[in-house]
Amino acid sequence: MTATGVRVRCADAGVRAALEAWIDGLRLDAPPGLTLEVSVMPVVSTELEDVVFEQPGVRFARLPEGQGLRLAWDEAAAAAEVPAAAMLASVWLSPAAVERLERCTRIFLMAVLVVLLRRIGWFHLHAATAIDPDGRGWLVAGNAEAGKSTTAALLAASGWRVGTDDAAFLERHGERVVVHTCHAPIALRKGGRRLLARAGGIALPARGKVGFWPEDLGGVWTPLVDPEIIIFTSVGDTHTAAEPLARSAAVAELVRWSAWVMLELHLAQRHLDVLTRLTHQARCYRVTLGSDLFARPNRLIELVT
Amino acid sequence: MNQRFKRHPELRLADVEGDGVVLHLGTRRYFSVSESGLVILQALESPQSVADLVRRLMERYEVTAEQAEASVHEFLDTCRAAELLDPEEAR
Repeated sequence: MTATGVRVRCADAGVRAALEAWIDGLRLDAPPGLTLEVSVMPVVSTELEDVVFEQPGVRFARLPEGQGLRLAWDEAAAAAEVPAAAMLASVWLSPAAVERLERCTRIFLMAVLVVLLRRIGWFHLHAATAIDPDGRGWLVAGNAEAGKSTTAALLAASGWRVGTDDAAFLERHGERVVVHTCHAPIALRKGGRRLLARAGGIALPARGKVGFWPEDLGGVWTPLVDPEIIIFTSVGDTHTAAEPLARSAAVAELVRWSAWVMLELHLAQRHLDVLTRLTHQARCYRVTLGSDLFARPNRLIELVT
Repeated sequence: MNQRFKRHPELRLADVEGDGVVLHLGTRRYFSVSESGLVILQALESPQSVADLVRRLMERYEVTAEQAEASVHEFLDTCRAAELLDPEEAR
């Protein structure tokens, strides 16, 4: 059993140890009961029928009769099935996938874990998470070019508590929605590092980025955020500006950045209800990030309070 | 003619302060709909005729039968174009 409550079963002790270390490193506060059952096979088929979703490197297909999802990674042949009604993901890795286990975990097994976590009502959202100096929880949602990571790094360097720069997991908790995060480096491109005037960090060559732990930036990592403010960001020019969003527009934005809501018939309504509930508890804004934020990071607070 | 309509089984709805957000899990598209559109889609969980839907709108809003019928026809046309209706029922 790993520290996160996600059990790894695998006959190959080396692979099992590596995957347990990966999951432990995520420091996800998931309850016990989830299992990754991993088999190393000489040949793994990555053929899929009824592909419903693709993200870089990973394809997703619905199993017949809404029985779950099948995932495939073509780069080095790996596949997985996550049944709708089980707390278990079956994963098949080819020897080539085992040879690239770090890449396989980051790209493919992370996607499997995202599907598996849906079984306990944790729904993925592309968002950074933070808690401001006054204790308000923030979500910063948007695509890969929306400035989430640079904003997360800036906020960490300004004394905010930061959870993640991208992978947030929403969970209904009574009348609230709380957000869990992995412990992972904030991954900055060259432009973000230049704006933050940051050197050093952990090289992430496969992603063309450099990673910084929130703690290395002067911040504190937080595994849990109760959002009061959600901003949907895009990168602008000089001036940071915010515009309030109507709740229906905010729900539509959340659907956009939580695209997994479309994948599984049996969970879609529950996932959609969580996204809708989030807009009950949080004020939502569309924010254009400007370079002035680097001189005054707390301008974000001024704009929404 | 007593044609009946039902919403597509792969639709999921959210009521957001009266307005609606609609997911179509089959086409993986999402839509925003007006309050009256949401009322119609909610009713279409089970098969409904145009007359049934007109009655619903008249119960909910201060509109004439003609206005309600025009709204229903217009909304059903939009739904048809966006594949929001169950093809098995809308015949």
